[in-house]
Amino acid sequence: MENTFNLSVTVNGKSYQQTIDPRTLLSDFLRNDLGLTGTHVGCEHGVCGACTVLLDGKSVRSCLLFAPQVHNQEVLTVEGLGTIDDLHPLQEAFREAHALQCGFCTPGILTTLVPYLEENPNPTEEEIREAISGNLCRCTGYQHIIDAVKLATEKTNT
Amino acid sequence: MKVEGEHLFNGTQKQVWDLFRDTAVMASALPGTEKMELIEENKYEAVMNVRVGPVAGKFSGELVISNEDFPTSYTMTVDGRGKPGFLKGAGDVTLIEQGANQTLMKYTGDVQVGGKLAAVGQRLIDTVAKSIIGQAFETLDNALAERVNAETEGRKADYRKSTESDYAATVAKDLIKNVLKRTGRDKS
Amino acid sequence: MTYKVIGKRVKRVEDPRLLTGGALFVGDVNLPNMLHAAFVRSDYAHARIISIDTSKAKEIPGVVGVYTAEDMGDAWEPGPPLVSPPPTLENVVFNSRRQVPLVKDKVKHAGEIIAVVVAESRYIAEDAVEEVYVDYEPLPAVVDLEKCLEPGSTLVHEDLDSNLAAHLIQNKGDYEAARQEADLVIKRRFNLDRGAAAAMENRGLVVDWDPKNQHLMVWDATQSPIPIRNGMAARLGLRTHQVRVVAPFVGGGFGPKIMMFYAEEMVLPWLTMKLERPVKWIEDRHENFYATTQEREQIQDVEMALSKDGRILGIKQKIIHDTGAFNPYGLTTPLNTQSHSMGSYDVKNYNSEVTVVFTNKTIVTPVRGAGRPQGIYVVERLLDIACKELALDPREVRRLNFIPPDAFPYDHKIIDQAFTSLVFDSGNYQPAYDLALEKLGYDNFIKEEQPRLRAEGKHVGIGIVPFIETTGVGPYEGARVAIEPSGKVSAATGVGTQGQSHMTSFAQIIAEELGVEVEDVSMVTGDTAEIHWGTGTFASRGAVVAGNAVLAAASDVRLKVIKLASKILETPEDELELDGGLVRVADIPEKSISLGELAVLANPFRGAVEPGTEPGLESTKYFGPEYGATAFGVHGMILEVDSETMMIKIRKYVTVEDCGTMLNPLVVEGQIHGGVSMGIGNCYYEKLHFDENAQLLNASLADYLIPSSMEMPHIEVYHQNTPAPNNKLGTKGVGEAGTIPVPAAFAQALENALPEYELEILETPLSPNRLFELIHKREELT
Repeated sequence: MENTFNLSVTVNGKSYQQTIDPRTLLSDFLRNDLGLTGTHVGCEHGVCGACTVLLDGKSVRSCLLFAPQVHNQEVLTVEGLGTIDDLHPLQEAFREAHALQCGFCTPGILTTLVPYLEENPNPTEEEIREAISGNLCRCTGYQHIIDAVKLATEKTNT
Repeated sequence: MKVEGEHLFNGTQKQVWDLFRDTAVMASALPGTEKMELIEENKYEAVMNVRVGPVAGKFSGELVISNEDFPTSYTMTVDGRGKPGFLKGAGDVTLIEQGANQTLMKYTGDVQVGGKLAAVGQRLIDTVAKSIIGQAFETLDNALAERVNAETEGRKADYRKSTESDYAATVAKDLIKNVLKRTGRDKS
Repeated sequence: MTYKVIGKRVKRVEDPRLLTGGALFVGDVNLPNMLHAAFVRSDYAHARIISIDTSKAKEIPGVVGVYTAEDMGDAWEPGPPLVSPPPTLENVVFNSRRQVPLVKDKVKHAGEIIAVVVAESRYIAEDAVEEVYVDYEPLPAVVDLEKCLEPGSTLVHEDLDSNLAAHLIQNKGDYEAARQEADLVIKRRFNLDRGAAAAMENRGLVVDWDPKNQHLMVWDATQSPIPIRNGMAARLGLRTHQVRVVAPFVGGGFGPKIMMFYAEEMVLPWLTMKLERPVKWIEDRHENFYATTQEREQIQDVEMALSKDGRILGIKQKIIHDTGAFNPYGLTTPLNTQSHSMGSYDVKNYNSEVTVVFTNKTIVTPVRGAGRPQGIYVVERLLDIACKELALDPREVRRLNFIPPDAFPYDHKIIDQAFTSLVFDSGNYQPAYDLALEKLGYDNFIKEEQPRLRAEGKHVGIGIVPFIETTGVGPYEGARVAIEPSGKVSAATGVGTQGQSHMTSFAQIIAEELGVEVEDVSMVTGDTAEIHWGTGTFASRGAVVAGNAVLAAASDVRLKVIKLASKILETPEDELELDGGLVRVADIPEKSISLGELAVLANPFRGAVEPGTEPGLESTKYFGPEYGATAFGVHGMILEVDSETMMIKIRKYVTVEDCGTMLNPLVVEGQIHGGVSMGIGNCYYEKLHFDENAQLLNASLADYLIPSSMEMPHIEVYHQNTPAPNNKLGTKGVGEAGTIPVPAAFAQALENALPEYELEILETPLSPNRLFELIHKREELT
């Protein structure tokens, strides 16, 4: 490759050094280069929110970032939240409340909510709706997602 | 999309007519024009870079002048195609004398767009079209003044080309104007 | 019947993988040596191809090949007719025209594929797509549903003498006679426009031909893997066992993912066999707006004849249905519209003419609801108008017209999408309607709340409509259930899963029957290696058709278990029970044997197997209903209109659903919520705008608005249970129910909220802009 970029990045606590095509999107880098396919791509134009990941603790759309833009930074994807045997409390609440159906948008919703709930651990229904208003879900009508967030916050707050 | 409007030029009907029929002037007036050549009588070949919001790319196509009625009216048809889609349009141009040294240009036409340009750029296309036209008139006004001056001073006219950054600035300005209009903050 | 596991709010077994990013979607399949495809699609909706120049694209490093229709040679053939017109209907005109893999001569809708680029990466493939030059001769586009039938109209298919795709008339009773007796005849024109299914996951396909093994492996985001396997084998001249199709986790389907065959599904298998390398293509969102099928566009002229007390004497209907550029899906959608145009009512006289037209727009196939919302919309709207004209209470008029509970099974004597007579198997409408009225607080709203809020200057309105949904149609589905030596259960069915929770609901049926834990049942859906026969997930039929096949297979395994255990435990069969993974003697719990041990014994390594028996504790069974199961329900809403911005806020939303036996109420509620959200999109947000050149003007999720959490109300779901009489579980489908009545209820509520304008809403979807226009039109008139 004539034009390359030497990317250094920490993803889910693990550091990676990779030589990539500089135009590689962050979403493609995570999915194809690192095999972290939990980050989904639904629209490639920053609207649907399925590709949301945490960049230095903040929610970002990985389909709107080039991988070199996260050089020397820390990325957290859905794979870094919890494991099948040890689900994150929010993941557990999602399961409990049937907050996912096809599950395609779910990783992006989780990665949107995790930093949000850190800042606002006791949101009202209206605030939860606003928090996830940038994440499209075609299956659930959002209601069970809202139930799940309430469930998770109740559990953490008791 | 209907395109309609008028513009008052500071020049005689003949001067304005000549201005419009000067390939170099037209090429300089339309922002993003890479090439405009007369390939046969009244037929031009043009290559133009167009940017409408997220959609950008090179268009190439033909511009044909017909129904000429010197120095008052003619019809212009464009047919262009590029990676972002296609555009096709026809418009009538009328030049009306306004006193001794002014000419009112009226234009009306219909432009059809397709492909990504239509599908993704739709919300912006009206504003962008108006910006391109506005930008063109600004350049043409300057060109006409330079032409008239050069004529009186007996020298060759020297035109300033409209740049893509001029165009980008105009689009941004027009978009903000539109938003303000819509939100009612600008009643002008 | 009381169940231990069926009907419980069981947490889903598929969730932990989905929640942690560990579930496999088609886009996640990455194979060594894999190539990537990208398509050159037409910007024009209607154009002749003069020439295609691929030379520049081929020069790009990393490009393996660029192919056009010509390169496909004999492999080029149109897709199969997915659904033929019903042979049970007389005098049907049907001009079958099917989509092609790559366009040969004339483009018939924007987004049709002209060429395919195959490259080492998707990035390179897309670069190369930009360098393919296609010279077109643009043609006028066929857009308008009525103009396209006028003599001299441009033709989508020039080998036909018009743009007529199909025509049929269904009749029962004598409408004209009924009309003579009527006190009131209402006639209106309805405009129902197009929307997208917009599943969050776009379509996608990974194909891998193994020449040494002579085997084609396919991962496809499809709702119907088995027909895809059968069709691919047939197209490629392979035997079915040489092709394995897996629909892994699929990120939403909603109808379009059952289309067979999409052009890409015809092109990619050909490519992998030609190139002998795996090939991947994942649709992007922009492509999805052109290349994935859409639905809902109809113009209807409908007439309803009534007596002065509000009884419906008859309905006469003329439907013009847009099928887009091709009609692979036959008449399913307009037949569904007919099936639902009499709603929940006892209508004795019905005459309905369907005219299907070709236009230069994306192909139409069912989208969640599939023709049903249009039927419910027109019948409910006409009833609402009738109530106003006759000054009758809309609740009383519905009560008067409901099919009474003792009239079931009720034969409508017209043909429905299943090609059989439209028979409603069961129903009990009035209690569901009453429950919805009560939960919505109808009386109180009309008498107190609305006047109070109006006095405050608020525009609030109420709408409530009953509906039916034909579900659970044939032909059949199958299931295989097997107890493994570990004591755990493996099961499979041919219906793919796009979020419907099959892995849990079906496991509940098996757990119930075999006395095992839900977690111990591993349910495979959508893998042709696991089951050979099946059709797919559509028409709200999973819980009915596949569910009962699962039950049949599990019951058969249970019989085998009992038979074998009876011998081993030396106990009569009727004294045995299955619980906790064991077979035990009812009175002597310590006398038992585990299912695992039995499974080992059922598959002996030595010794003689009893003649006439089969090894293992396994069974494959099928279920095919004579006719479908008719679910029903009521949706009601209270909404508020901001009269300045025309924005809508739904303040209360109530649904009563009767889908017979619920396998898992949590899942049923989820299905309703999702259905309602698409229904709300269909009311006010989701409209595909095509211009006069058949150019789609809002092909992005930024411009095509699917409801977000801000537009969605809190939905109250209440249940009623009228079990389906013709299947053992008593289940009825519920996948589409949520979507069907929403526009009808919305229109009623909107009119009710804005009485000062005397609006008559006869179209859907509306939008703030459109509502503004309608109001101003009324103001100009008065």
